[in-house]
Amino acid sequence: MEEARIGVFLADSGGQLSKILDFESITEFLRGIPGVTLVQRASEFWRGYGLKTIIEAVKSGKINRVVVAEGIPKIGEIAIAKSINSAGLDLSFVEVLDLKSHCAWPHRDSPREATEKAKAMLLAAIEKVRLSQPIEKAVFPAVKAVLVIGGGVAGMQAAEDLADMGFQVYLIEKEPFLGGLAARAVRFFPTDDCAVCIQSPTSDLKTVTHTSRKCIYRSGISEIPNLQILTNSRIIKLEGEPGNFKVTIEKKPRYVNDRCVACGLCATVCPVEVPDEYNAKLTTRKAIYMNMPLVYPPIYVIDGSACKFHECAKCVEVCPTNAIDLNQKAETIILNVGSIIVATGFKEFDPSVIKEYHYGEYPDVITHLELARMIDSFGPTGGKIIRPSDKKEAKRIVFIQCVGSRDKRWNPYCSGICCMISLKHAALIKEVHPDADITICYIDIRTTGREHEYYYEKAREMGIKFVKGRPTEILHDPATNTLIVDVEDEILKRFLELEADLVVLAAAMVPSDGSEELAKILGIELDKDGFFKEYNSKLRPTETKIRGILICGGATFPKDVPTASLHAHSAAIKAAKFLNEGKIVKDLKVAYVNEEYCGDCECCPVTCPYGAISLVPSGNGHFVARVSPLKCEGCGICVGTCPVGAIELNHLTSKQISAQIKALLSVNETPKPKVLAIYCSECGGTALDSAGMTMSYPANVRALKVPCTGVIRAQHILEAFKAGAQGVMIVGCKPEGCHYEAGSQMAKKKVELTKALLAAYGIEPDRLEMFNLIYIEGDKFAEAARMMSERIEKLGPLVIA
Amino acid sequence: MIILLMAGDFVRDGGGKSNSDFIKNVKEMLGGETITSCYQCGTCASSCPVAKTTERFNPRQLLRIALLGESDEILSGDAIWLCSSCYNCQERCPQKVEIAEVIFALRNMAIRAGKIPQLYIDFANGLMNEGRVVPVSKFVEKKRADYGLPPLKPTGVEQLRKILAATGFDKLISKKG
Repeated sequence: MEEARIGVFLADSGGQLSKILDFESITEFLRGIPGVTLVQRASEFWRGYGLKTIIEAVKSGKINRVVVAEGIPKIGEIAIAKSINSAGLDLSFVEVLDLKSHCAWPHRDSPREATEKAKAMLLAAIEKVRLSQPIEKAVFPAVKAVLVIGGGVAGMQAAEDLADMGFQVYLIEKEPFLGGLAARAVRFFPTDDCAVCIQSPTSDLKTVTHTSRKCIYRSGISEIPNLQILTNSRIIKLEGEPGNFKVTIEKKPRYVNDRCVACGLCATVCPVEVPDEYNAKLTTRKAIYMNMPLVYPPIYVIDGSACKFHECAKCVEVCPTNAIDLNQKAETIILNVGSIIVATGFKEFDPSVIKEYHYGEYPDVITHLELARMIDSFGPTGGKIIRPSDKKEAKRIVFIQCVGSRDKRWNPYCSGICCMISLKHAALIKEVHPDADITICYIDIRTTGREHEYYYEKAREMGIKFVKGRPTEILHDPATNTLIVDVEDEILKRFLELEADLVVLAAAMVPSDGSEELAKILGIELDKDGFFKEYNSKLRPTETKIRGILICGGATFPKDVPTASLHAHSAAIKAAKFLNEGKIVKDLKVAYVNEEYCGDCECCPVTCPYGAISLVPSGNGHFVARVSPLKCEGCGICVGTCPVGAIELNHLTSKQISAQIKALLSVNETPKPKVLAIYCSECGGTALDSAGMTMSYPANVRALKVPCTGVIRAQHILEAFKAGAQGVMIVGCKPEGCHYEAGSQMAKKKVELTKALLAAYGIEPDRLEMFNLIYIEGDKFAEAARMMSERIEKLGPLVIA
Repeated sequence: MIILLMAGDFVRDGGGKSNSDFIKNVKEMLGGETITSCYQCGTCASSCPVAKTTERFNPRQLLRIALLGESDEILSGDAIWLCSSCYNCQERCPQKVEIAEVIFALRNMAIRAGKIPQLYIDFANGLMNEGRVVPVSKFVEKKRADYGLPPLKPTGVEQLRKILAATGFDKLISKKG
């Protein structure tokens, strides 16, 4: 490679830094370094005249490496990198450091030492760029197609959004009809209107307008040319990479093809009757059936587990359009998509495990979903609220909240929507039957959404009673066929035995069936409650750790419809943003494997948080690790893990780390023992930034930036001691807030192990310490730096045996 | 003896009676660990056969007062001694609070503080003096003789006394609160 000609640019921040640092001495020092061909000073270099100076120097060919000491480092780094890149210099040949908040300001009380430290920092940056390799820019093709899993409220809206934006969309639903859980819930809060209402395109099927709100069956969602709906289908395999996934879908046979005109003759002749799970088994249906009169697709389906097929075949005989095909087989469909959205929703918890409530044993103890089916005029009771045991009208109704949720025996979390469902259902019943006697037993009523508290107020106005207390048991009096709810009214401190015709359990909302299996197929995580886990719950609520795989709606946690919609639109935008260009452009700041040294030990594939490393056959019966450049985030956790040093980061090689360690510790005219702080460029770095802005700490603390503390190996720490450090601090993110997920925790373990190693070498383990800090903890960094300086002074000079 | 737990009876007087270390101490006791999980749903109260017969005992309110740090009320009161240890509450508690165990922990704390109801002192003395919690009365002896049953054998009370002394049991029950 061409010999390095390094330009060093010193920003003085309007003369502020030269009040502390001796710029003359620094310039002289820089001029003495081999390879430094240009040293310039200006007030700032990240914009305007200063930036122009750098660009001209690069364009003239005078320099081919750039080191900038800038007062606004992070913004500066981005601005400078952008300009220099367009001037034709590779990004890796630019190093921006912060002489203000990392040197001059925190050490303003000791200007001489600060000047020495500034020299060391500049030397380290120079040594780093001297060894830099060019970083390639890779372009990966991205298929402008999206698979949406789940045909409920969230899935349909995300699919519609993306189709509207011109992407090819596949919407798959495991059930035979669209609609999901919401369609069974009949009415929604806060509008009290139908659950089957979704956004829908206008007649040209291209755009959604303000009036585009229609029932699923009228929405025309099926007629959007670039949206394909596959019901009765599930995903069984995922291959490929983000932007270019190959998905295998299994489509179960429907046994009825699209010649069906939904006349219903088949169902009238079908002799098989089975409990209707769609109607919460309150009634029966035939083996050939439709959920409701108006559904999408408007095609009957045969329940393969109930139908007698060729033994009977009565339906085949009567079908006027010859639409029934009893020989239909399951199909396998392979789709090529760039992104996947998981919108598989949630389901109601089965409360029969809570024995004291006798659900499943007493027919008049039901759940909200069953009550919703009763409220539905299409439902099994035609909209009447009855006692399932004797079909008589239910006049006295008791609701019990938090059944199986906020319950450590089953689901410790609050399902969040059940209070509102109870308030909604109680009011809906009371509107039709003002004489109904309704009591809601609650622990806490939680109505936190917009307009939700008004539901609570309305319920009280309507005469619905509230008892604060969780019932211990539901009893049944067979003589009167009455249920008795045994509860303490905590406010009156009185024990009540509430008589009821019907008891409605506000059962918890739990993850959908098959969530675990789907997570495994997709390679994404579930949280401890079994819901799909987002990459970052604060800022990236629809993304997963695999780029291009998104999650939304109730699949991530129980949600009401407005929140699920919001989430779905957000996921659609993320998918669109990912695929919009039709390609994924990435600076390949990645890890690479030296296959000669790779010992096939399987450590790095396990520790990589992004699943970017796999073992591939090396030809001689062994395997070697291989890094997917698309999945690799360049954190270096694999580097820190590899026991033989076979993995390197191309943007920060071991040689570069060693050179920087030596440089940072080399310049020193003061007798104070030096501490090396190795900090990550994320939260750890921000703690250094904020400490430097307002606080002070000793200048003998020298700092080395790494992408993530996970990259650190014991060897680096030993090198630091060898190069003259008397103490080493590792400064990373909080373990639970690590930007690369596992790096900070890895570093913590590494520090513990290295302490043991130090002890074996006769070095006091106290000379090494890890700190986990965030931006608002600059004071803690300053304190830690002081503490470490004092500690090593007390320990006395380091003696390496 | 204080009658606890009636509505309105319980007024925090702000006079510093409440002991902020109390709950910490309860949690350190064997059996007391789960007390802070209580969120006052009242399942225990409606499960409790004792609470339904007397206002002097209600497990929910007992835990509530303990959680507020009112150590004197808890340790000097009679409520902790009224639990029948049927475990109904504990089986049904949705927060997995080991209520009966918590009450045992509170009883142990009361005993260590020397606040022992006379009945339990009598039991303990019976155990140490005669090797029986309930002493054999003249009435029982006479009845047995009437039925032709042999007199009850004496217990090995000397050994028992040595064991109890070795564990410090004798000192514990003679402690005065």
